Amino acid sequence: MPQHALNAHLSRRRLLLAAGAAAGASLQPVWAQASAGWAGVEQAARGQTVFWNAWAGSEQTNAYLQWVAQQVQASHGVKLQHVKITDTADVVKRVRAEKSAGRTAAEGTVDLVWINGENFAAMKREGLLFGPYAEALPNFKLVDVAGKPTTLNDFSVPTEGMESPWGMAQFTLFADSKRLPQPPQSMQALLALARAQPGRITHPRLPDFHGTTFIKQALVEFAPDAKALAQPVTDTAFATQTAALWPFLDALRPHLWRAGKQFPQNAAAVRQMMADGELLLAITFNPNEAANEIAAKRLPATVVSWQFEKGTIGNTHFVAIPYNARAKAGAQVVANFLLSPAAQARKADLNHWGDPTVLDVARLPATERALFQTGNLPGLVQKGAPTLPEPHASWVEPLEKEWARRYGV
Amino acid sequence: MSALSHPAPLRRLGAGALLALVAVPVLWTAFEALKTGSDANAWRALAHDPALPQAALLTLWTGLASTLLAWWGAAALLAQGFVRQRLARLLRGLPLMLATPHAALAIGLLFLLAPSGWLLRALSPWLTGFDSPPPWPTTQDPWGLGLIAALVIKEVPFLLWTAATQLQRDDVRQRWRAEHALAQTLGYAPRRAFWLVLWPQLATRLRWPLLAVLAYGLTVVDMALVIGPASPPTLAVLAWQWLQDADPATYAQGAAAGVLLALMVLACSAMWLGAERLQRKVVAHGHGVRGSPARTHGSDIGVWLLFGVYAAVLLALAAGSVSGVWAFPAVWPQSFTTAAWAQVAQSSGTVLTTLWLAVGSSGIALAWSLAWLELAPRRWNNALRPVLYLPLVLPAVLWVVGLYGVGLQLRLEGQASGLLIAHTLMALPYVLLSLSPAYLGFDPRYAQLNASLGHSSRAFLLRVKWPLLKRSIASAAAVGFAVSVAQYLPTLYLGAGRFASVTTEAVTLASGGQRSLTSAYAGLQLALPVLAFALAAWLGRPRRFTHTTA
Repeated sequence: MPQHALNAHLSRRRLLLAAGAAAGASLQPVWAQASAGWAGVEQAARGQTVFWNAWAGSEQTNAYLQWVAQQVQASHGVKLQHVKITDTADVVKRVRAEKSAGRTAAEGTVDLVWINGENFAAMKREGLLFGPYAEALPNFKLVDVAGKPTTLNDFSVPTEGMESPWGMAQFTLFADSKRLPQPPQSMQALLALARAQPGRITHPRLPDFHGTTFIKQALVEFAPDAKALAQPVTDTAFATQTAALWPFLDALRPHLWRAGKQFPQNAAAVRQMMADGELLLAITFNPNEAANEIAAKRLPATVVSWQFEKGTIGNTHFVAIPYNARAKAGAQVVANFLLSPAAQARKADLNHWGDPTVLDVARLPATERALFQTGNLPGLVQKGAPTLPEPHASWVEPLEKEWARRYGV
Repeated sequence: MSALSHPAPLRRLGAGALLALVAVPVLWTAFEALKTGSDANAWRALAHDPALPQAALLTLWTGLASTLLAWWGAAALLAQGFVRQRLARLLRGLPLMLATPHAALAIGLLFLLAPSGWLLRALSPWLTGFDSPPPWPTTQDPWGLGLIAALVIKEVPFLLWTAATQLQRDDVRQRWRAEHALAQTLGYAPRRAFWLVLWPQLATRLRWPLLAVLAYGLTVVDMALVIGPASPPTLAVLAWQWLQDADPATYAQGAAAGVLLALMVLACSAMWLGAERLQRKVVAHGHGVRGSPARTHGSDIGVWLLFGVYAAVLLALAAGSVSGVWAFPAVWPQSFTTAAWAQVAQSSGTVLTTLWLAVGSSGIALAWSLAWLELAPRRWNNALRPVLYLPLVLPAVLWVVGLYGVGLQLRLEGQASGLLIAHTLMALPYVLLSLSPAYLGFDPRYAQLNASLGHSSRAFLLRVKWPLLKRSIASAAAVGFAVSVAQYLPTLYLGAGRFASVTTEAVTLASGGQRSLTSAYAGLQLALPVLAFALAAWLGRPRRFTHTTA
């Protein structure tokens, strides 16, 4: 009982500090007050341990997170622990289970989570998140909210400060130019290629993130009215907008790898099969992935990346803090550090991760802008295509359900 | 029998306390799991799921076929080894095979058999004419053949080893040799004599291990994820996918599928026991067929094949872990990189977590098993086996649902203690299973002799019984260690992701599909239990008495 009371007391104090930071930011003119609030957060963060639940399927990601841990330990005395997960839905489930088991603030096992899309939509809807905090972070003012509107709209769900942007993604394809000299420039062209060389193209099985993205890209290309996709889904909207999608997938399916009766588990499996020569092309959400892999000597330098001429869908990924995080101040310090030019530049650097930045690089001072310079390395996208907005997060579930009904078994 | 000096009521009390220590958490976990899995709506959703019938059929097919083949394979190898008096040779490579974690084996096999795998690379293009991998479904085949092969390759050594723990007991071996010789004097060919006289005795003692193999084959997740059929997958994988869903209704459906899986395990076990009884009746009427002596000249091809597969898997993991660019049909990587091992070297914390968990849980499980076998009346031991073996027979997907439920209620989620308890509960049945035969078969006359010489029972345990059984004790501890290292689901659920073990890393990375890093972690996952078994073999080596001649 006394232990419990102590916890509650502590958590109330932390909440007040955090709320102070948020309130300071909303009173824009009183900047001094806000930074005093931030100084308070930094003070509270010192000595805290932040358990960051982040997908860990990639070597570069893990190494980058280790670097972040060293930095925040040195600069802010925050101990950052990378909790390696395979699927962010697990974290949503865990926090939900903790809530239904009656865990209150500061009793959770998750302090920070790498998140976006329907996982964010679910956590926000169910009140599983702490905030708003993101726009009060000192480095948030560097974010390119005008040029990259997805930093404020996560799959058409307004973030409202409940998560802080971390990196950009855009649907990109890559292939070995020796085996595929003429990359297809649309879903229709992809179908023609599949007909010409059956069994050499596929996408991950839904609900894998990249599998869903492939279907969403096709949806965006075939939907009669793209604006309807930005609204929450309805039965009639779903029927009209997907009317042309299913005939396309029906036509594509028999020409896919293993006649479309089986799909690889994830994008990395597709990439490995492309590297082995079993598939012609691979898909990614990181435009720099092929260049990364070439630099790491896992793909030959003849691999090229491209995006469809008329554009491909793109989005932003974020970090969020659960309602019951123990180290809320520490988590905010980490989120703020992730937005610093140094951290963003290292993340964008192909030698480390190669994930596009959320910042407005043009507005940065010259010294910091210089951090972002990269040469023309093999595997980079040569001609960028426009970013098309993601459909509203509510479209994902019916899309996955219908796909599973038609092609899942 | 053995602890003669303890008064019976005191021993009962001790055994009762030991029982409560394990039975309470086990039954509570099972209850939690069944409660979560008995939601009516979830069962309705499950019944209407289009993937269910085919997934259930695949589960039955892969589980039963792999168990039968493993049973038959192990029996054939044993017959061969016993008849030709080559058991020792047969058992030499066993620890390595036994220690190979399921996931690591599946990952290695995948790289041998895949369309872009080593087998076809070795034959291309000079023989096959292929410049790119053929569109053959040789892995994750829709018939589950790859999964069956992987399970058989993994379970034959396990069955051989449990049989070996029986045959290692000198009294049993001598008696069986005598019976075997006697049958031959009656005119039975050596092989036929083995099947008629020894195998029925051995088979009865292998009943529990075999049911464990059956339960494992029906419920395996990690292996099936790597090499099993994908659309639809087996029921266990389907349940696991549902349990990963963020939607609570789908989660409940996964738990219900876990319960269904448990029922299937029960039904198959009952069927197996029935078939066994029937077969015993048939064998009892031996019909007097003596068998032809000519058939005794078998060759060691089965053993070599088994060794060969494990060696190829090891080599594939080793080559994979340092491979850079490696396109089909190149037999060796076109470029090499040590980046994967550098990454592994950086994660020493992961290795430490794995080690303390494995040492702690196998140590506790061993201490408990020794105390239990020493104190519990034989009747109790027989009656309570089903409870003690519950974690082993219940599908892992269902078990973790219960563990997580209990963990949440006790506030043990994300705690080292909760994780240790979960690992101990998983290691315990295996340790007990591997320790029991030798321990219970220990000749009671030693104890009587000891008592007649006026020595205390403590001295008996420390100076006679345990030293004589040290080989079995050491290898039971190694088994517990290996089981703990291989735990994936309990580590993930109870550790709340805060504790990374070598296995959670390997499976997490396998989901990233990157060959070099996955191979490196699979290699590490394999190395730890291999070292444990090597240590056990060294500790359990027979005592040598040096004679000095004056």
